[in-house]
Amino acid sequence: MSKLEKILQSAFFRTLLSILIGFAVGAIFLLAVNISPVEAYEKLFTSIFSSPKSLSYCVVYATPLIILGLSVAFSFRTGVFNIGAEGQFVVGSMAACVVGILVPAPPVILPILCIAAAAIAGALWGVIVGFLKVKWGINEVLSMIMFNWIAFYLSNYIADIPLIKSDGNAEATKNVQEAAMILLPESWIKGLGLCNSASWGIFIAAALAVMVYVIIEKTALGYRLKAVGYNRDAAEYGGINANLSIMTALAISGAMSGIAGATNLLGIGQRIAIFSAQESYGFQGIIAALIGANNPLGVFVGGLFYGAIKYGGSRLNIIGAPSEVVNVIMGTVIFLIAISHIFNFRLKKKKKGGDK
Amino acid sequence: MKKLIALLLAVVMCLSLVACGASNDTAADDAATNDAAATDEAAEGEATGETIKIGMVTDVGGVNDQSFNQTSWEGLQALAAEDPTFEVSYLESKTDADYASNLQTFVDEGYDLIISVGYMLADATRAAAEEYPEQKFAIIDDNTCADLPNVACLMFAQEQSSYLVGVVAGLATETNTVGYVQGMVSESMNQFGVGFISGVLSVNPEATVLQYNVNNFADAPGGSTAATNMITNGADVVFHAAGGTGNGVIEACATNGVYAIGVDTDQSPLAPEYVLTSAMKRVDNAVQDISKAVKDGTYTAGTHLYDMTNGGVDIAPTQDLLTEEMIAAVEEAKAGILDGSIVVPTTAEEVPEFTLANAE
Amino acid sequence: MDNLINNLGILVYATLLYTAPLLYAAMGSCFSEVSGVVNIGIEGMMTMGAFTGAAVAYFTGNPWLGFLCAGLSGMAFALLHGVATVKFGADQTISGTAINFLAPGVAIVTAKAIFNSSDTIPLEPTSKMPILFSGVFSSGTPWSNFMKNVFSTYASTYLVFVVLVVVWFVFYKTRFGLRMRACGEHPMACQSLGIDVHRTRMICVCLSGFLAGLGGACMTMATSNQFRPTSIVGQGFIAIAAVIFGKFRPQGAMIGCLLFGLCSGLRVVIGSSSLNISVQLLSMIPYVVTVIVLIFFVGKSHVPAANGKPFVKAK
Repeated sequence: MSKLEKILQSAFFRTLLSILIGFAVGAIFLLAVNISPVEAYEKLFTSIFSSPKSLSYCVVYATPLIILGLSVAFSFRTGVFNIGAEGQFVVGSMAACVVGILVPAPPVILPILCIAAAAIAGALWGVIVGFLKVKWGINEVLSMIMFNWIAFYLSNYIADIPLIKSDGNAEATKNVQEAAMILLPESWIKGLGLCNSASWGIFIAAALAVMVYVIIEKTALGYRLKAVGYNRDAAEYGGINANLSIMTALAISGAMSGIAGATNLLGIGQRIAIFSAQESYGFQGIIAALIGANNPLGVFVGGLFYGAIKYGGSRLNIIGAPSEVVNVIMGTVIFLIAISHIFNFRLKKKKKGGDK
Repeated sequence: MKKLIALLLAVVMCLSLVACGASNDTAADDAATNDAAATDEAAEGEATGETIKIGMVTDVGGVNDQSFNQTSWEGLQALAAEDPTFEVSYLESKTDADYASNLQTFVDEGYDLIISVGYMLADATRAAAEEYPEQKFAIIDDNTCADLPNVACLMFAQEQSSYLVGVVAGLATETNTVGYVQGMVSESMNQFGVGFISGVLSVNPEATVLQYNVNNFADAPGGSTAATNMITNGADVVFHAAGGTGNGVIEACATNGVYAIGVDTDQSPLAPEYVLTSAMKRVDNAVQDISKAVKDGTYTAGTHLYDMTNGGVDIAPTQDLLTEEMIAAVEEAKAGILDGSIVVPTTAEEVPEFTLANAE
Repeated sequence: MDNLINNLGILVYATLLYTAPLLYAAMGSCFSEVSGVVNIGIEGMMTMGAFTGAAVAYFTGNPWLGFLCAGLSGMAFALLHGVATVKFGADQTISGTAINFLAPGVAIVTAKAIFNSSDTIPLEPTSKMPILFSGVFSSGTPWSNFMKNVFSTYASTYLVFVVLVVVWFVFYKTRFGLRMRACGEHPMACQSLGIDVHRTRMICVCLSGFLAGLGGACMTMATSNQFRPTSIVGQGFIAIAAVIFGKFRPQGAMIGCLLFGLCSGLRVVIGSSSLNISVQLLSMIPYVVTVIVLIFFVGKSHVPAANGKPFVKAK
């Protein structure tokens, strides 16, 4: 195989092609709404790269997507499709919010407590689904869809409790205490010209990516979880407690989704609004996992990419372009990645075609 | 692993490709200088008075919410159409966490006025206004930022327009029962209901008002069910303040052949034969006023109250279904509000007192 | 007693209102899942159908043409899903997720291109889905109120039950139904018997998109009279849940949808009564009840054995 052929055959080329075609399809829709694609994409990319501030916003937007992506990727690797990440994210945010408002604790300690509460809440939301599955055989996809909505209304219910609800007229919780926030030191933010919401979240995401890699690839636990995901019967025959494994996998995945909620809250949100519609973080996390091929490092990069496009894409409004074009682009990219194995470029074949 | 590096490279390459294609943008390194240049340009533009840039940040309802986001944007578009010195744009917020970054974007792009739509943006607007004291802001439906020297708080007396449609409903009902469907419980949402009930009782003290909170702005079947329930229990006029859920309310009224009353915009087109009238909130007038004030240099911070006196709230212009008697009653109520003889209550506690006083 | 009859009427009304769109989509999901293709793109296909139905009915003034086109637009995205998963053996979850992002994006951007707004222009009453027994029952006594509410439902709601009978017949009384179910359980065996597994699955996926599109159109052409970005928010996933609830049988999915609709109606009836319960907790009823019913009455559901697995033709 020649060098060129190797490149053409690589996942690198396929993914690049998927992204380029995604943008091309987006361009067609932009033309349909009478917007110049060149102008729109210029706006998209200048919005992302114009300053350290905008770049740091992209990272801020990417952080929850990366962590949710890790959560979903982890569940995929252990044979469960965590469509319930949305609900786990919501209960995690709310748990962190309640602790962040009510618990009197000093800086450093308080954020840790908040994140721990979020992890526990998210894990609990995952374990309930796992329990329903192993105890009564209830399909996890079904119960996760239900638990996403239950989490949604539960969060609204808690946000409405007088102790938690904002004193002002906002339909939201109180702000969590300043001590609970995980923002970077102000001198860094000012010195580097970052956005006000730049936080430690991205480092938490990186640490979790490493953790997921280690658990999955380097530990006996990871081996057991993967084995059950791959073939439950064979794993049980091999002496692995499959029920316990499923619950463990869902607990870890749920805990990560919960942490994603906490970092979002303690980084930018500072409060939780009473929802009028699902915020769809869970599904965005699924996208990040898919771009990253369920590999921790891939998810990290995929999440950054998606976060940047999400941030830059929402700026398309300024030139009058619908920001939904981003959904068209991302949908196309994911779709093409799903079928990317059919892009089979053999140089020889091409030559033959040329000869004819 | 190889796949990942590949992906990373793909992303970078793709981005740089487009970045190279773009004429005036180079790379992140030069971004700072570019940024400075852009700011200078904006400042120059302001000095010569060539263009006035108005940016609007929606709440999570989005720009086509058939409510205040949409009316604000339509107001700005109309303004730009009639006076080309205005350049208007908007940013949609998808979640509560988007407000700060959206406001920041307009600040960075050197907009002359940034309009926050809705009280949910109050905290984010306050933070941005404190950080950028030179930047002019305006916020709709919030009064908590009134102490800041660079935020104009545009407040609406929505209870007054609700009162007027309440008067219409009170006269239109033959069963002495009217309904009210709400999208969510909140201080400002409740004012719609309070104004409506006061209006109904002012002309029809015998009337019963059935109320229901669907707890959702996007549940059309829920709106239909709630309205049908009210109609079954005798209601023959139903008012809604419930966004997309209201579509279901109007639909159920049309199905059962009773009157519906719309909110925020003139909702007559949704069902011309059944939408009796609508309680309008002229956010479009308010955003135009404040934008013009920026252009003329007469911008002032603090509270700007939009009520009946300055056309901030009103009853819909479509009056095809109203009888002479209703129109007369509405005019009378309007006059009363204008001369101060009628002060429409804003909280549920005030309603009984108001009604009693009114009866005497 | 009168109150009870009234409430009962409202419950039936609400149940039918919520059930119709869900049931179309659920039957679609049944086709796809039973033949062995997971289709989580139902939500996106519903959104596309919701938009197309409202847009076509607006321009042609013909509700049935709009309804048909809604189905076809759902089918177009199903075709994409089918080509990816059946022909090219792509991961079914990934492809479905892609559709869920792509289809609503296309719907909203197209709406902006045509209507210069994400909402379509409201339909005239004549271009809306008709109500069959409009005006037959007058209100007055509790029982006539009851009848009026029960029969103030749209033609699309009656149609959904007709379609259900047809689908049931196709599933259990035709050769195609048998083959289709076999493809979801033992594709290899099917191939050895000379059944074209790919073709069968392709047809099923397309049918699923068609029915999902019809379900979406119910929301924008019957329950409401315009498309808005919030027209379809999660109904597709509820439909998928109903199918799993109904053990991948159309009649079971119907029970799932009816249960969900009933609970949604119950929420309004209880909420309008004098009981003082938090509206947030009431809103949970449909979801909590579904889980509880599953635990106590339904239990484990058998997923088609080859569900989710791409089938590679043996040579």
